[in-house]
Amino acid sequence: MRAQTLQRRAALGFACGVVCSFVVWPFAHPSALWIPLLGGAAGAAYVSAAPRESSGWLDDAFLAGALALPFWLILEIIALPIVAGGQPAWTAAGLRSAFGAFTGWLFFGLLLGGSANRVLAAAHLARATVPDVALAREHVRVLILGGGFAGVTTAVKLEGLLGADPSFEITLVSDANALLFTPMLAEVAGGSIEPTHISTPLRASLRRTRVVRGNVAAIDLERRHIVLQADDPQSQPRAIEFDHVVLALGSVSNFFGNANIAQIAYDFKSLGDAIRIRNAAIAVFERADRERDAALRRRLLTFVIAGGGFAGIELAGALNDYARGMLAEYPDLNPADVRVVVVHARDRILPELGSELAAYALAKMSERGVEFRLNTRVRDASTTAVLLDPAEEIAAETLVWTAGTQPNRLLATLDVQRDKRGAVIADATLAVPGNAGLWALGDCASIPDLVTGGTLPPTAQYALRQAETLAYNIRAAARGGALREFRFAGLGALCVIGHQTACAELRTPFGGRKLYFSGLLAWLMWRVVYLAKLPGFDRRVRVLIDWVTELYFPRDTVQTIEIS
Amino acid sequence: MISPAHRRIVAGAIAGFLGALVILFLPSGITANPILVVVSGMAAGMLFAAALGSRPLGPGAALVWGLGGATVLWIAFCALDSVMSGALRGGSMFDVARAHFAAFVGFSLAAVPFGFVVGTVGARAEPGRVRLRIARALCGGGFAGIVGGWAFGKWMEQAGFFPLVAGIVGSSSARVGVTLHFAIAIVIGASFGLLFQREIRGVGSSLGWGAAYGVLWWFLGPLTLLPLLEGARPVWSVAHAAELFGSLVGHIVYGIIVGVLYALVDDFWRWLFERSDPLNRQAEGAGVLTLSSIARGAVASMVGGLLFSVVMIRTGELTRVAQLVGAHSSVTGFFVHLVISALIGASYGVLFRDEATDDRIALAWGALYGLIWWFLGPLTLFPILLGGQFTWTTVAASEQVPSLLGHLLFGIGLAVAFRALERRHLAHLFVDARLRKRWLRRRRPAGTPTPALFVFFIAAGTLIPVILS
Repeated sequence: MRAQTLQRRAALGFACGVVCSFVVWPFAHPSALWIPLLGGAAGAAYVSAAPRESSGWLDDAFLAGALALPFWLILEIIALPIVAGGQPAWTAAGLRSAFGAFTGWLFFGLLLGGSANRVLAAAHLARATVPDVALAREHVRVLILGGGFAGVTTAVKLEGLLGADPSFEITLVSDANALLFTPMLAEVAGGSIEPTHISTPLRASLRRTRVVRGNVAAIDLERRHIVLQADDPQSQPRAIEFDHVVLALGSVSNFFGNANIAQIAYDFKSLGDAIRIRNAAIAVFERADRERDAALRRRLLTFVIAGGGFAGIELAGALNDYARGMLAEYPDLNPADVRVVVVHARDRILPELGSELAAYALAKMSERGVEFRLNTRVRDASTTAVLLDPAEEIAAETLVWTAGTQPNRLLATLDVQRDKRGAVIADATLAVPGNAGLWALGDCASIPDLVTGGTLPPTAQYALRQAETLAYNIRAAARGGALREFRFAGLGALCVIGHQTACAELRTPFGGRKLYFSGLLAWLMWRVVYLAKLPGFDRRVRVLIDWVTELYFPRDTVQTIEIS
Repeated sequence: MISPAHRRIVAGAIAGFLGALVILFLPSGITANPILVVVSGMAAGMLFAAALGSRPLGPGAALVWGLGGATVLWIAFCALDSVMSGALRGGSMFDVARAHFAAFVGFSLAAVPFGFVVGTVGARAEPGRVRLRIARALCGGGFAGIVGGWAFGKWMEQAGFFPLVAGIVGSSSARVGVTLHFAIAIVIGASFGLLFQREIRGVGSSLGWGAAYGVLWWFLGPLTLLPLLEGARPVWSVAHAAELFGSLVGHIVYGIIVGVLYALVDDFWRWLFERSDPLNRQAEGAGVLTLSSIARGAVASMVGGLLFSVVMIRTGELTRVAQLVGAHSSVTGFFVHLVISALIGASYGVLFRDEATDDRIALAWGALYGLIWWFLGPLTLFPILLGGQFTWTTVAASEQVPSLLGHLLFGIGLAVAFRALERRHLAHLFVDARLRKRWLRRRRPAGTPTPALFVFFIAAGTLIPVILS
């Protein structure tokens, strides 16, 4: 149908061109019998390019008239002399001698533009300027569950791979409407970055993915749909069907069944958690400032962080800086009362890094006032104290939990194989065995590491690259192609431990040799790397401004939410 | 009650009458019966106003339509004379056109009353039209005029033109000439803002309006008003115009600078006070658009650059290009040429990304941009970069005719390739309904006077240097 229309348009254009070309004849050599043929070809080409939203015959006449000039130059000054076996006549004299033909071709253009406009309108053969894009009737429905690094990157990569292919429909379900850049979460808690600056709105960063904000109530692999939790009692639970479903639900904190800790401790997974921790710090400073009881004041100003991994150490460093920086605004408080205590179950912090870097971090943070309890666990907590094992009681009202995670609990409802953490076991192509169209990646998946022979670590670095492989595999599976296996050796790790101090362990691309950095250089590397990785150009600018502002002005101590 | 369409036709008749007076009282070389000239002028004005229909029309748009119409009318006039004298073919027609150069100036100046009368009536008939921001037009245009005037002034200083300008107030002092020159540059710049503010959609189209406005001011300024203000009768002969060829290039360069700067100031102003308003928020950020346009423009320029290089190889120009980096080899020249092509292509991407709504218009913008770079490149920047001076002479223009063709080929190749890349990008982009809507909103709407701009500037920019050389 479309080809027929194009052919009819070209035929009409050719006819218009032939008729209009007779105006050229008086200005050309009488024996130039090729003129109608050339005019017809020019007419066909011109009309084929003409759009539906034509401006009017005058506009088209002038436009075609203007195009006649370059046409004349190419034809009469370059092409014809070369065809005649001579040199192009691109001299002033050459242009002068071909001036008559210019007039002829100008009139040709004016007539062609005006007449073609009317003829096309009469024949209803105009063409759309803007390509129509509609989803194909038979399309593949890809459903991504989770709006973290793994889920969002899968959607981004799928968009990139699929381009304008209308035979795929992508939907992403997320419990937040923004992608949180977790490596900078500690800086939010430490008051050096505005909270929203490290979150990228999903709707702004995804082009063709339908974003649905909500919590998944159930996944029905049999009937191939999911059910969203209803927002209020009146609304009906909504189901979303899929052909391929991606489990990228991430992980949640694991309190190991201790209800007191779960109730009292601050979580450190979301933007809301970071905001709450920052506000809690300000709130206890305000309370301590008006408190006359020295013991109570000391309890208020003590912050316990359970977990000496990346999250816990970065938070401890940021919170220590923030709390000690706030003292300038609270002259009545004793700096010695401020305590930031890290409780860690192993014999050294930062197990993700080499032992030397871990020791460096411990020493540097201790210098800056952070206390450590190694080989120690948080046994229990109350509103006034944190109980440790081996037996110790730390009087504190603020406990932050970074000591353990577990995959999203929804996964427990699925009839699939899981590891001891509860993560869904997937193969190296990220497919869940025994379930066609079911894929898993990120924190909630247990994936074999083809490099080391173990399982892949549940970090953002791996999740980002898994997403790329997964996007490729989903497209390949839908089109009947071969799947790729995920293979990645890791690039290293960076960890900020305090003001302008960081640890970095990087792996060289060839040979896998490890390089270690610490101090200011590592800190600069951290900032450059993570600023570059922060999604969204505008976010990078905002964070950069925050960092520069922090150099000249004190961190903000405005309490924005009430902490009960 | 007279309908808007009839009002516009009446305005066309009045404008035609005023245009006829311009032709009769100024040295257009038309010696026909004055009544016949007036009647013909009124008929032409009425017909052209009727042909414009009910499209949105302000003074700037009507002026450009008038200039386009004047160009076509002049060529038709020359063709008619050629028919009557039996000199239609080959170079004979050129001699007729050369003899009627004064008529081209006259017809073009007759477009000024057409623009003002028909444009004012057209703007009044359209209540929903975007309001003219006078302060923005005057400030932005005035600023652009100063910078454009500074660039033009460099040539005027070299050519000893300032004392001539000072003659307007009966002085021969260069300092007075400089002061007057800048005052005039500011006025012209501000008038550009007033006339074209509502026509400008991007920097690319503004560059086009500016270049055409520059040509018009060459007709109006040194050829007409300057002698009149000095108490002399204007002379529109080819010989006199050829003497002022440098001033023509200067006016075009001035117009280009005014057009580009005004659009940038205007855009900055709107960004500061309008687009920053959350109510006007767009789905895709300006930074992403600009970067992708630069990349596509640079890639597309390779097509135009390779086409142009064929001309350069045949004319031996590549060794001259190599001199820009202190080399003499044509291979080095080829690579320097490609780098320059990429830079110009990248600028095309930024300037014209929303202007070309279909392949035909893309081709015309490309030709126009190529032509503009002929004025800016081999006639202006190239000799300066090689340590010389402005070569705004008919001799230089005549020598650079192969380069003129090369630039046109470059522009066309660039525009066609850019359009192809843009279409591919848009097909990808339009999967997102928000971006599709936004593009539809941003792109140049139907009915603007761009076709007339193409006719006027491409014809005038190509033919005048040849006629005067």
